[in-house]
Amino acid sequence: MRNQIVLGLVFLAAIAQLAVAADTHGLPGSDWPSIAKLPDLNGVWEVTFGGVIGGPPQQVVLTPKYAAMLKAFQEAPAQDTPMANCVPPGMPGIMLQPYPIEILFTPGMVTIIAEAFSQVRHVYTDGRKHPDDPDLTFDGHSIGHWEGDTLVVDTVGFTPDTPLGMNMGTRHSSKMHIVERYHLKDPNKLELTMTIDDPEALAQPWTRTAVFGRHRDWTIAEYVCQQNNRNYMDSKGKAGIDLHH
Amino acid sequence: MKTTFASFALLLTTLLLYTRPAAAHHSFTMFDNSKTVVITGVIKEFQWTNPHTWTWIDVTNDQGVTETWGIEGMSPNFLGRRGWTKDSLKPGDKVSITIFPLKNGEKGGTFLRCKLADGRELVMFENPKVIQ
Repeated sequence: MRNQIVLGLVFLAAIAQLAVAADTHGLPGSDWPSIAKLPDLNGVWEVTFGGVIGGPPQQVVLTPKYAAMLKAFQEAPAQDTPMANCVPPGMPGIMLQPYPIEILFTPGMVTIIAEAFSQVRHVYTDGRKHPDDPDLTFDGHSIGHWEGDTLVVDTVGFTPDTPLGMNMGTRHSSKMHIVERYHLKDPNKLELTMTIDDPEALAQPWTRTAVFGRHRDWTIAEYVCQQNNRNYMDSKGKAGIDLHH
Repeated sequence: MKTTFASFALLLTTLLLYTRPAAAHHSFTMFDNSKTVVITGVIKEFQWTNPHTWTWIDVTNDQGVTETWGIEGMSPNFLGRRGWTKDSLKPGDKVSITIFPLKNGEKGGTFLRCKLADGRELVMFENPKVIQ
C-alpha cells in the first residue's frame, strides 16, 4: 500500500515535471531563479570602436535591383540621412551608435535600451512566435532564446523607410531578417554577431560583428534629439545647419 | 570601371561605419575638415543640450565688430562620460576654440578643442581623426 502511494507520488511528480517542460514558463529566463543562472548580460554597455574582429567588415552584396538603387543614389546623393531630422536609424544601425545600451532581464523578456534616440527593444523570451503579419516598425519584432551561453535574438517586421547602412543609398526591404547572437567573451566584453538576410535587397547574408565593453559605473542618460537640433535635411536631400541664436 | 569604383565606395562606406563613431546624428560633410580655424573670443552661452552641445562665442573681427559664432559639439551624454560638465564653459570665459569651419562660410563649425585663459584645455575627441 505504502509502495503504491510512493509510486503514485513519483508518477504525479513526473507528470508535473512534464507539464512544466511543456509550458513556456520552463524556458531559460522565464522566472527570477532561472534568470539568476543565465550569463550576466545585465547592465550598461558601449560599442568599442576600432575593435573590429576578424579583419575588415564584410562587404554588403546587394541584389541587382538594390545595387541599381544605390547607383542612382550615388549619382545624386542626399547630403545626410533622416537622422539629421532626429528620425532614429532603426535596426541594425541603432545597435551600433556611439552611445551606450542597457540590457535588462525580466521574466520572459530581455529589454534593450539604446540611449541614442531613446529607443527601446523588447525581446520576448517566453516562447512566443513572431506575428504572422507583423506591423512594420523601425526596430522590428524580436523573439529570443538561449543556445547554451548565447542569447539568440530573431527579428522581423521592418519598415523599409530606414537605411541598411550609413546613408540612404544602401536600403533594405520589409523582408529583412536579422539574427543577433549575444555572447560574453569575458565578464566585461559582450560580442554581438549580427547576420542580416533580405531576399529582396541582399544577394548574400551580411554579417557584422561588434564588441561591447561593460561600464558598471554608467547610467543611461536622457537623449531628446528634438531638444536643440540645429541640423536638418530637406526633402531634396540638402543638408543644412541653423545658426540662429 | 564604374562598377569597381562603386564597389570601392561601398567598401569605404562600410569601413566608415566602423571608423566614424562621431557621426551618430548627422553627416559631417558640411564642415571643411581639410583645415582647422582658431577663433578667439568670449563665451556668450554654452548649451548643454542634445543632440549637440552648442558653444556661442562673441568674436570681435578686424573691423571691431562683434560677431557671434556657433560651434557644434558632441552631446552632453558623450562628453559627460569624458570629464566635461554643463559648467565646463561659462559666459564671460575668454577662450580660443579650434574648429573645422563650415564650408558655406557661415560663422560656425564643429568643436575640436578649446584653450581657456587659466591654461585649461578641453578636448572634444580623444582622437580627432574620428571625424576626419
